[in-house]
Amino acid sequence: MSGAEGDAGDAEGAGDAEGAAVRTRGLTKRFRSGQVGVDGVDLLVPRGAVYGFLGPNGSGKTTTIRMLLGLVSPTAGSVELLGTAMPGGGAEVLPRVGALVEGPAFHPYLSGEANLRRLDAADPTSAPGSRTRRIGAALERVGLTAAAGKRYRQYSLGMKQRLGLAAALLRPRDLLLLDEPTNGLDPQGTREVRALVREVADAGATVLVSSHLLSEIEQVCSHVGIMSRGTLLAQGPREEIADEGTTEVRVMTRPDQRAHAVRVLSGLGLDGARADGEVVAAPLGSVAVEKVAQAVVGDGIDLLGLEVRRPTLEDVFVRLTGEGFDVAR
Amino acid sequence: MDTTRSLSPRARWAVPAVVAGAVAAAFAVPATMGAVASDELPAVTADELVERLAVAEKVPVSGTVVYTARLGLPDVTVSEIQGAGPLDLLGGSSTVRVWSDGEDSSRAALLGEVSEYSVVRDGPEAWTYSSADDEAVHYVVDPADLERYEALAQEGAEPPVDGDVPTPSEAAGLALAYARTTTDVTTTEPVEVAGRAAYQLEMRPQTDGTLVDRVLVAVDAETSVPLRTQVWSVQDAESPAIEVGFTDVSFDAPDLSVFDFSAPAGADVREVEVPLPEPGTLEQPSSDALGKDAGVAVSGTGWETVVELSDVDVDEILGATSEGRLPEGSTGSSGADDLFEELTESEDGELPGLPELDTQALYEQLTTEVDGGRLLTSALLSVLVTDDGRVLAGAVPPATLEELAG
Amino acid sequence: MSLVDSPPAGPPVSSARATARLLGSELRLVFGRVRNIVLLVGLAAVPLLIGTVLFVTQDTPVAGQGPPFLDRVTGNGVFLVFAALVSCLPFLLPLCVSIVSGDAVAGEASAGTLRYLLVVPVPRTRLLLVKAVAALAYAAAAVTAIAGVGLVAGAAFFGVGDVVLLSGDTIPLAEGMLRTLGVVGYVVASLTGLVAVGLFLSTLTEVPVAAMAATVVVAIVSGVLDALPQLSAIHPALLTHHWLDFGEFLRLEVDASTLFAGLAVQAAWVAVFGALAWSRFTTADVSS
Repeated sequence: MSGAEGDAGDAEGAGDAEGAAVRTRGLTKRFRSGQVGVDGVDLLVPRGAVYGFLGPNGSGKTTTIRMLLGLVSPTAGSVELLGTAMPGGGAEVLPRVGALVEGPAFHPYLSGEANLRRLDAADPTSAPGSRTRRIGAALERVGLTAAAGKRYRQYSLGMKQRLGLAAALLRPRDLLLLDEPTNGLDPQGTREVRALVREVADAGATVLVSSHLLSEIEQVCSHVGIMSRGTLLAQGPREEIADEGTTEVRVMTRPDQRAHAVRVLSGLGLDGARADGEVVAAPLGSVAVEKVAQAVVGDGIDLLGLEVRRPTLEDVFVRLTGEGFDVAR
Repeated sequence: MDTTRSLSPRARWAVPAVVAGAVAAAFAVPATMGAVASDELPAVTADELVERLAVAEKVPVSGTVVYTARLGLPDVTVSEIQGAGPLDLLGGSSTVRVWSDGEDSSRAALLGEVSEYSVVRDGPEAWTYSSADDEAVHYVVDPADLERYEALAQEGAEPPVDGDVPTPSEAAGLALAYARTTTDVTTTEPVEVAGRAAYQLEMRPQTDGTLVDRVLVAVDAETSVPLRTQVWSVQDAESPAIEVGFTDVSFDAPDLSVFDFSAPAGADVREVEVPLPEPGTLEQPSSDALGKDAGVAVSGTGWETVVELSDVDVDEILGATSEGRLPEGSTGSSGADDLFEELTESEDGELPGLPELDTQALYEQLTTEVDGGRLLTSALLSVLVTDDGRVLAGAVPPATLEELAG
Repeated sequence: MSLVDSPPAGPPVSSARATARLLGSELRLVFGRVRNIVLLVGLAAVPLLIGTVLFVTQDTPVAGQGPPFLDRVTGNGVFLVFAALVSCLPFLLPLCVSIVSGDAVAGEASAGTLRYLLVVPVPRTRLLLVKAVAALAYAAAAVTAIAGVGLVAGAAFFGVGDVVLLSGDTIPLAEGMLRTLGVVGYVVASLTGLVAVGLFLSTLTEVPVAAMAATVVVAIVSGVLDALPQLSAIHPALLTHHWLDFGEFLRLEVDASTLFAGLAVQAAWVAVFGALAWSRFTTADVSS
């Protein structure tokens, strides 16, 4: 796994920085209070990726997304969206970007459809002729066709979230920035959002999804970035982040054979082998798992079970920050 | 996209600063831009200037006059409640729009916020009209005097009107009347008034016994029309106690329809026949001239003149003025009525025409209790009303009046 | 359905077209909002109320009392327009203008819709301009509503006729109507400075009520300062000082320089506070 800094080097090495959907360099936001909200973030979202932007509440994800969109001006650093520098190129690039920032927001006394009409009318690049059709399609896509004429005020939290997604999908987009899109959705809604993200990605768009709930996002992401306290701790393809150095082998055996097993594993060169409750565990490192099995059995230990446990993102987070995901605030 | 996006935040905040500067400059510049070369006028002596004023041909004039009084009186500005009326002239600034054909027609309109008080003179008749109470007063010269009026009209006489509105010309005329008394008359550097180059006469009383420090009269260099009169009090060296001058003036003949006034439909109209003033009453007062009127005594001369009226019922005047005008003969003589108004200039003479004002309260607000009476002090005029019914008035310090009253 | 199948976007339109399109949407928003409609109806009810009261009391001893023009109404319904405007100018009109202009940016910020407009994207300068024009349109509608209802109610209650000016001179009704138009135009123009102030205050906060209240306070404080003779030196520059100068249209000769002075002061307030609003809005972080 690599840290944020190392990653910047990797990206340039890959020669694909030009083609990145989102690229920031040294992005920093210091608030007027003196508090640093975002500190030297080098974000790299390759085109076509579904990028899980993870971190607890208050870790700087939303401020980063606001800076990507030009809503908040960075104290230092630069932003490129789809190869165009922000905020100067906003007029050119933002029509290709759909966004959901910190929850949906619409005029409460207008209907869902009227709200979408207003946003579409505000867009100088949208075609008025196809407005009705596009709005209908976007509403249908998020399952709001029946509630299109209802006032936004009367929408449930889930419906509001869907309308926000509909607004982001009003036109074909090359990039979607979705900040906490599953907030307020029930499990069914969450599944639908995941399906939507997959569908959009399959059509060739890049998606950046932020969340403070790892489990919701983990399954759809091709790439992951982890934020904590304003800094980007790690980013890269999900497997790389998850795999590196932390895969464990867990050997189940009889209690009286555990000490023996620890010795065998250590003998294989697995540092840190230890009895962990019912099992003997050790980081797998570069040793092949079948070698472990052979060694254990060959030494006369009754092998009751063998598990290779890939680390979860949560484990990665805990290892990187030294604290649990939910408590790092 | 808006290309201004590339401006730095600091540069953006400079924009309102620049705009504010430009706005301030835009408002300041016209004040200095209009400056005329008043310092290139050929020099004249005071005598020449007085002479020019005397022989100047009357020309049509119209424009805007601002009258400012800093008399040091309590604020009694009531125009916002009452509509424009002559009482506005007691303090603060008033704007008067004037039109004159240079002969016997003139019009002056005292402007209130959404009200107006007009005095229209057209030959032997005159109108006053107050928009606030929709009341018109029609003055016509007493038929008995009409013949004499026709003769006098050649000399520019006008029927007198209660509650007149001052114009620079009238103020200048009054000031020049004083110039005949013990006064040093000189000229100052030429000045600029309403964008016109003007000579300026300075009249300084030779005595210390008056509240008047000096009177300045600015006279248009080209037409010899008085453009501004300032009366400075000895109490204030910063700004004149009374200033009446054009802020905007034109010598083009106004449209004659301006002088063609008739009472609007629905207005209350009062008809008043006025006798022409007796010849001589406008002259400098003296005990001799007034001797025939009972109850009036004049002491001192020139700037120190003090007029003393006896047997004045203050309460009656206060009650009567609330009905519209100073009651005939209330000061004891008709001559004294005129004199009283003349001397007090735009102060007491303006009390008429205030229909709903509590004059008693006003009286108490304006005056202070002193030993043996009530005293009104202002920057230019002191008035002492004694408890035994005498009124002493003059452009002198209050102590002089109290001394005279004994 | 996939994104690729979505209908393609139209070609980008010119800046003026885009502004006009956004303005149309903004006007629908402002004039479609129930609160704003209620305020307009409330303002329009003022001349109706005054007219009714005067109609009922015209033969009683209390007739002919009250603020300027009131006593003229029973004689000529046209004056109901002026009486209603004089009644609404000190408080009701500034209140309504403050509510709409103070809400302009702060309302979108508090609802969160501001960030979505900006990422559409709408350039901030254009959005501010559109907000200003819409607020001004509302002010114009408010004044027109008062004047229109005043004229209709005045004509219905009392009939209309030749107009007696403040100077006591009488002009024909047709010219009186022209002058009434002038009054309406001047009063609308008089409110532009307040719109600019409201817009600026609206960019400072995400709490619309705060911006509205602060704007009303500016108008009221200006009126209070205008009443203090000690401050006469600054009176001509005050936002509200020239508001009643619409009376100039009812004088014998309408003096352009008096009207110009009032309009120039409004232009100055618009320039300064418009520039402040622009600086603030184009540099501010949108964190709502």
